[in-house]
Amino acid sequence: MNSKKSIALLVALIVMCIPALWAGGAQEAEEAGTDEKVKVDIFQFKVEFKDQFTELANEYMQENPNVDLSIKTVGGGDDYGAALRSRFASGEEPAIFNVGGPQDVADWLQFLAPLNELEVTEKAFDGVLGGVTMDGNVYGLPYNQEGYGLIYNKEMLSQAGIDPAGITSFAKLEGAVKKLDSMKDELGLEAVIAFPAKETWVTGLHLSNAVLSQEFDNVNEAFNADSVEYKYSRGFQKLVDLQNDYSVQPTLSLDYSQQVEQLFAGEKVALIQQGNWAYGSIAGVNSDLAGKIGFIPLSVEGGVGDSIPVGVPMYWGVNKQLEEDVVAEAKKFLNWMYTSETGKRYVLEEFKFIPAYEGYDVSKVSDPLARDILDFSARGKTLPWVFMGYPTGWGQNVLGIDIQKYVADKMSWEELIAHTTEEWESARQ
Amino acid sequence: MAGKMKRHLLFWAFVGPLVFAFFVVVVMPFLWGIYYSFTEWNGIVRSQVEWVGLRNYIDLFDDEQFIYSFWFTARFAVVSVILINGIGFALALMVTQPLRSSNALRTVFFMPNLIGGLILGFVWQFIFIQVFAALAEFLHLEFLNGWLSTPETGFWGLVILMTWQMAGYTMVIYIAALQSIPGELLEAAEIDGSTLWSKTRHIIIPLVAPAFTINMFLMLSNAFKLYDQNLSLTNGGPFNSTQMLAMNIYNTAFQFDKMGYAQAKAVIFFMVVATVSIIQVRMNKRREVEY
Repeated sequence: MNSKKSIALLVALIVMCIPALWAGGAQEAEEAGTDEKVKVDIFQFKVEFKDQFTELANEYMQENPNVDLSIKTVGGGDDYGAALRSRFASGEEPAIFNVGGPQDVADWLQFLAPLNELEVTEKAFDGVLGGVTMDGNVYGLPYNQEGYGLIYNKEMLSQAGIDPAGITSFAKLEGAVKKLDSMKDELGLEAVIAFPAKETWVTGLHLSNAVLSQEFDNVNEAFNADSVEYKYSRGFQKLVDLQNDYSVQPTLSLDYSQQVEQLFAGEKVALIQQGNWAYGSIAGVNSDLAGKIGFIPLSVEGGVGDSIPVGVPMYWGVNKQLEEDVVAEAKKFLNWMYTSETGKRYVLEEFKFIPAYEGYDVSKVSDPLARDILDFSARGKTLPWVFMGYPTGWGQNVLGIDIQKYVADKMSWEELIAHTTEEWESARQ
Repeated sequence: MAGKMKRHLLFWAFVGPLVFAFFVVVVMPFLWGIYYSFTEWNGIVRSQVEWVGLRNYIDLFDDEQFIYSFWFTARFAVVSVILINGIGFALALMVTQPLRSSNALRTVFFMPNLIGGLILGFVWQFIFIQVFAALAEFLHLEFLNGWLSTPETGFWGLVILMTWQMAGYTMVIYIAALQSIPGELLEAAEIDGSTLWSKTRHIIIPLVAPAFTINMFLMLSNAFKLYDQNLSLTNGGPFNSTQMLAMNIYNTAFQFDKMGYAQAKAVIFFMVVATVSIIQVRMNKRREVEY
């Protein structure tokens, strides 16, 4: 009797729980239905400015009470792509999301609204929209500009008597590295460079871009190329060799945090190949050093030796498949973010972005790496970012991996060139 | 008749929800997955899913990295299953002895299993790279240098990590099995003058055979499916030499955006894991004895 009773009780419990679960789901839907605000979902990748971005969104909602912005952030390059796909597959499509370049635009084209008529689009600098323009339509708005090169420790270079402005060719770069190497003990260095061969984005995307951006004029040219020629194969090899030979060993297990936070911020190395995004990490560990750093170019032998690659890491796109008012409000917000006074102040002072648009007072940019990038830009000494035009996965998972093999002596440079060329071609067939 | 009806109703009231859930979250995705393995798709909803027939499966056999990852995973599975079960069993024997610290030891040995795989990977990465390098300098032992920067140290790093994590888990199952051995059997053996070794060999091991079956099954399928520890410890590096099958599939799907091809790999992966597991359970079952 007793056991029967308890079974009955259990069944009753389960039966009671099911409608409760159902009701939970239904309630949510109802709330959204009665809401008169236009809900704009933003799904973005930049983790480091999430808090400031949320503040900006709150200010916007105060000015525009009819709009409800909700921000979701998923970080990291690959993870964002996977998360975005599942977000769309789940039916909760965001109104604003990120695209990285021509491949993303081609993949997501059915969702992307043209943004040509916006004021902000007209204010974008020349060249920054190339990667997201297709048949005359602009499908993305740049977040900001970023640049990279060899970040150097100003005090160490001056101690070694090296003028960073004088490094305009590979020979001079090599000379400077050798000089630093001969003074390792006086400078307290473990090695001259920290080369993170483990991080395939540093080698396969950024380092290769310094070389391949001299072969492809812009990202679309790379995107449309059936093959890669490696015009400066020798210069590429020398750049890899130089960084690897004078690096803290073993480079194959050296990662970003070791490179930036432990070795460079700890003043155990004088040079690292990184971009202005590393400023926060360096300042967090060693605020004294953070004011005394700058960029020298990744000089390519036989090619350009005095310029640094500057480009747009990510773009905002608007989902055109949602209701008209959502699409309109999404565009309005993006336009406001980069053209209104409040928005501009946030972009420059809170986000600490290097703007990709006209109408900003860039003298307010304070961090030394960003200042250097602006300086290189002002002198016209920049190279484009073309790596978003590589075949999907090629930069990191083919070239980056082969560079690891090369560094480990498991592959010759000729084999690397042959294999990566073949993979590029087969991906483009 | 009415009683039978009621029993039926009761049966489905209990089993129904579970069958429904199982069907929705396991069976349906599984069947959909098989369908996608014959297609080419970039993972974006409403974009074109192109039927390519068996091409994905044919391409698999030319995929050097996939084949390499396959053998790497198999090698890892064999070594780690043997080590985890060997050490787990030894630990269980140790803590079932009448020691005063046995309860404390059980807790300590089990503890690594309470830490999540990702965190464990990062902790061990720190140990292998930073602590080992410091030890190498201090003790002048060259082999402690450069861990995780060669395929061999990457392999053994993974094996050490997994053994450390899972040995305590298998230990718990072995303890339960050891404690269920009737005392009279051991006593009788002792009276017959058997040594500790012969007692272990002829009485304990045959009687805990069911525990071997379950542990080896768990560890074998676990080793094949390993992802998070692999990701955080080596992330496949150097040069994809420690990339295990699950990671190879994930990267194919989400870094190369080849969903259909990745799905074909996953189907093959499923068939291999299922076959290996069934063979292993059958073989182990035969060794089990009843008393």
